[in-house]
Amino acid sequence: MSGRKIMVHATWAIGKVIGTKMQKTAKVRVTRLVLDPNLLKYYNKRKTYFVHDALEQCTVGDIVLIKALSVTRSKHVKHELSEIVYKVGRVVDPLTGKSVAGTEFVEPLSDLVLEENISLSDKLKELNISAASSAADSPSVQTPTS
Amino acid sequence: MPMKGRYPIRRTLEYLQKGDIIFKKKVKIMTVNYNTHGELGEGARKFVFFNIPQIQYKNPWVQIMMFKNMTPSPFLKFYLDDGEQVLVDVEGKDCKQISQHVKKILGKSDEVLHAEAQAKMQASHPANFGPKKYCLRECICEVAGQVPCPGTKPLPKEMTGKYRAKMAQSQD
Repeated sequence: MSGRKIMVHATWAIGKVIGTKMQKTAKVRVTRLVLDPNLLKYYNKRKTYFVHDALEQCTVGDIVLIKALSVTRSKHVKHELSEIVYKVGRVVDPLTGKSVAGTEFVEPLSDLVLEENISLSDKLKELNISAASSAADSPSVQTPTS
Repeated sequence: MPMKGRYPIRRTLEYLQKGDIIFKKKVKIMTVNYNTHGELGEGARKFVFFNIPQIQYKNPWVQIMMFKNMTPSPFLKFYLDDGEQVLVDVEGKDCKQISQHVKKILGKSDEVLHAEAQAKMQASHPANFGPKKYCLRECICEVAGQVPCPGTKPLPKEMTGKYRAKMAQSQD
């Protein structure tokens, strides 16, 4: 009996994809902060939604934005995928537009001047030379950047 | 015995009710991306630690999600009802600055809050007595300092109807 009008609490939600084994459907876990009445502390309360994903473009671990459908698709599917916010493994930093892995950029930023890498053998040669001379000569050339 | 945890004041009702960011109706989701280390992200961390509980308390229907160590710089992202997204860069800012900025862009202003409070007060006029659904009190006997309800405590003899009627009759 598809075509029923639904009243869902949330028209929009953000969640993490936890399963994609169904055809054109993703299982999304949405966490909301709920106040514990005695501790007065907020904890994540999770709820899973089945989300219609026409192009099967979600992988497990993506963070997605889901939107409530105006008519429910089936008994359980009441939402559809609106967009993938952070794709797992290919997160793009919205401020710079560059790809990012954790707290580091994948490619170093071009406006930073990094000094060329001195090879290990060159460093050893420098050490040998200055071992005989006075210790005032500091063999290390490396200066900390930024 | 003091409360447990660091800064347990965050877990008091008084602190939660002091939150002053009330989002406009179209804000549905708030996402905070922050990092656990780094000097520049200190403001974001403080914002999450101190202000997020207040915001969630005042906006129970906004979904708030936190993400740690996903990007090099911290930011906030808001998802509005009409599909619009608002990105707020938070790097290097203090937690007070962040909350003031958020209040300015997406919070209800003080005039709107005043107007709403007034509208609510009009619905509950203290001078009206009636059913609980429409008025604050049902009878003046509920007010402290007034004559208590004869149902709970009998009236003094001089106030009862039959005594007064007898007096009036004996005078005529």
